Amino acid sequence: MIEFRGVSKTYPGTERPVVNDLSFEVPEGEVCVLVGPSGCGKTTSMRMVNRLIEPSQGEVLIDGEPNTAMSGTQLRRKIGYAIQQIGLFPHRTIADNVAIVPSLLEWDRDRIKERVDGLLDLVGLSPDDYRDRYPAELSGGQQQRVGVARAMAADPPIMLMDEPFGAVDPITRERLQDEFVKIQDDIKKTIVFVTHDIDEAIKMGDKIAILRQGGFLEQYDSPENILANPASEFVESFVGADRVLKRLSLMRVGDMNLEPVNGEGSGLPAISGDLTVRDALSEMMGSGTERAVVERDGERRLITMSAIEELSQDRERPRE
Amino acid sequence: MEAIFEVTQRPNFPELLQTHIVLSVVSLLIAIAIAIPVSLAVRNTPLGSAIAINIGNVGRAVPSIAILALALPVLGFGFAPSLLALTLLAIPPILINAATGLKEVSREVVDAARGMGLSEAQILSRIQLPIAMPVIFAGIRTSAVQVVAAATLATFIGGGGLGELIVEGLQRSDTPVLLAGSFTIALLAIATELIFGGLERAFTPKGLRLARKKK
Amino acid sequence: MSRINLLQTYGPLIEWDWISENFVEDILPALQGHIFLSAVSVAIALAISLPLGILAARYRTAYAPVTFVTGLLYTIPSLAMFGILITVPGIGIGPRAVIVALVAYSLLVLIRNVVAGLDAVPPETIDAAKGMGLTPAQILFGVELPLALPVIVAGIRIATVTIIGIATIGAYISGGGLGKMIFDGINRGFPTMIITGAVLATALAIVADVSLLAVERRLRPWARTRRA
Repeated sequence: MIEFRGVSKTYPGTERPVVNDLSFEVPEGEVCVLVGPSGCGKTTSMRMVNRLIEPSQGEVLIDGEPNTAMSGTQLRRKIGYAIQQIGLFPHRTIADNVAIVPSLLEWDRDRIKERVDGLLDLVGLSPDDYRDRYPAELSGGQQQRVGVARAMAADPPIMLMDEPFGAVDPITRERLQDEFVKIQDDIKKTIVFVTHDIDEAIKMGDKIAILRQGGFLEQYDSPENILANPASEFVESFVGADRVLKRLSLMRVGDMNLEPVNGEGSGLPAISGDLTVRDALSEMMGSGTERAVVERDGERRLITMSAIEELSQDRERPRE
Repeated sequence: MEAIFEVTQRPNFPELLQTHIVLSVVSLLIAIAIAIPVSLAVRNTPLGSAIAINIGNVGRAVPSIAILALALPVLGFGFAPSLLALTLLAIPPILINAATGLKEVSREVVDAARGMGLSEAQILSRIQLPIAMPVIFAGIRTSAVQVVAAATLATFIGGGGLGELIVEGLQRSDTPVLLAGSFTIALLAIATELIFGGLERAFTPKGLRLARKKK
Repeated sequence: MSRINLLQTYGPLIEWDWISENFVEDILPALQGHIFLSAVSVAIALAISLPLGILAARYRTAYAPVTFVTGLLYTIPSLAMFGILITVPGIGIGPRAVIVALVAYSLLVLIRNVVAGLDAVPPETIDAAKGMGLTPAQILFGVELPLALPVIVAGIRIATVTIIGIATIGAYISGGGLGKMIFDGINRGFPTMIITGAVLATALAIVADVSLLAVERRLRPWARTRRA
């Protein structure tokens, strides 16, 4: 668990803080995405977790202990770190790059080799093909995979990721995101993830912290709640005019509370229960139907436009 | 041709060659011992790097004969003033290259290293130095070739070395002596270039060679 | 060589009177001579390097041998180069030998930069020029060389600074220029002459460096960085 407790950061010689009285908790095993426009202090906040930057006020606690309890370098070896520009060491092989932290922690050679191969497999790079190559021989997407593998190398319970999929084309980015969501389902790390892309935040985050210029925390909540109840106009405009659709894309048709089909389903188009509600809506609109049949686990249920509409209504939200 | 070869058999030839090499090697070593620590000290401060690089650039613009000649009124004739002048001459290329090479290790790479828990000493020895090594060696190579050439001029301030043969050949209009000196010096310089070029390649990590090729 | 107690032999490091008395008669001509030597050498070297560089850029197989030979020339210490050159019939002692040597030293840098400059011209640009019906000569002079010019000027800058330094040594074989003041100063045991010559040669090199750098930047408006 990571806890920010009244954390502010003001650089010497400047008046305005870049991070302003930040307090929130990242529960164990969850992904917390820090998102906001440039200058909102998201990267600075992340870098205060592993003390690449020291806060001016307040403290960051890890599992209840202030992160100042041990030296910065000791702390950083226990926290995975992946950055946008990847920062692979150009003079080291892929295997050596991944092995950095384990070798700092003086693991024995066989254990390191096994770990490196396992991680390369995990991020989809065949160890036999890539182990002995150098970063210059890899594509941008492959380098990002290595960057993520390197951050996970010593199996740190906590990982910090600063736009780790930022330097690749959109298609590769989406694939890397999907793969990472899958991996995280298994490894359950506590992750602080920084991005400027709200869609990435919604996709990756269990919790999202939306920050505004000057380092103010505007809202900290689950993606669903943020989309349903933006806490402020800033959040509302930041998440975009299509927030209703974004919310629908977080839900699967199969998870909707739908009535069974009572005989009347014949002749209606069928929709897979694995689709997101947004995709289902798109399909129904495309085929010009108000109603469709969802098949899941051998059951046939009826989905209607009005059921989707109901789902997409905002909950009551307090507005000052 | 034979007359030229005979000059190299003269009893004082080995001594001149030896002085030339000793002057060059010692001044190069002292220059390395000065320039490298300075570059290391300024590696993480952009202002310090810029100052070091600019001092180096101005230093390089001073003609080598000027540095040697200036040693004369200040320090006098002989081996030691020559050594000092050659050292001053050898510093700028190493300083420029080492400071530039260390400065240009990409910020992301250093940030990633720090973020993974490498100590400053480890970042220097495992990341910054190996990555900057080819550039540093290129500087040492430039410096070495330059020092071998400038050591020829040491003769003008009584430092000895193979330049004496050229001076003697010119003054006595003795073409074989002139050419023997000139060719030996030329060969020495070319040999230096080749040896240090080889070292530079040997010290370039494979990953960097690949990265350079890609560019 | 006899050792003398120099601190007694030499007077004050700089005698300003000497400088003002000899400024017009000795110093200025030496400076002019130095500039002349350097400028003529760079001009001749450029006249050789441009066609050679263009050829080496077109016919890649020529590049390695050309840089090997010019690299060898570049490595030869100047006094040794002078020593060899003055024995060559038709050259002899004097400014001619100095100019030949200075030209030889400039070739490597200039040819390398001509090739690098031409290499850096985007193939799309040349393709577009071809597509618009320009002749090969028009492409070379109207498109490729102008685009390569900043890199070529960068080469001229490095070559000029190098040459100004080496030209001082040429005075030893009667090449004239500021080096003559340095050598005369050594022979007469007169520090003022050494320092004047050395300082002027250094200043000339720095002025050449800075002004050619300014030219280089002006020729490269597309590389101007926007300040955030």
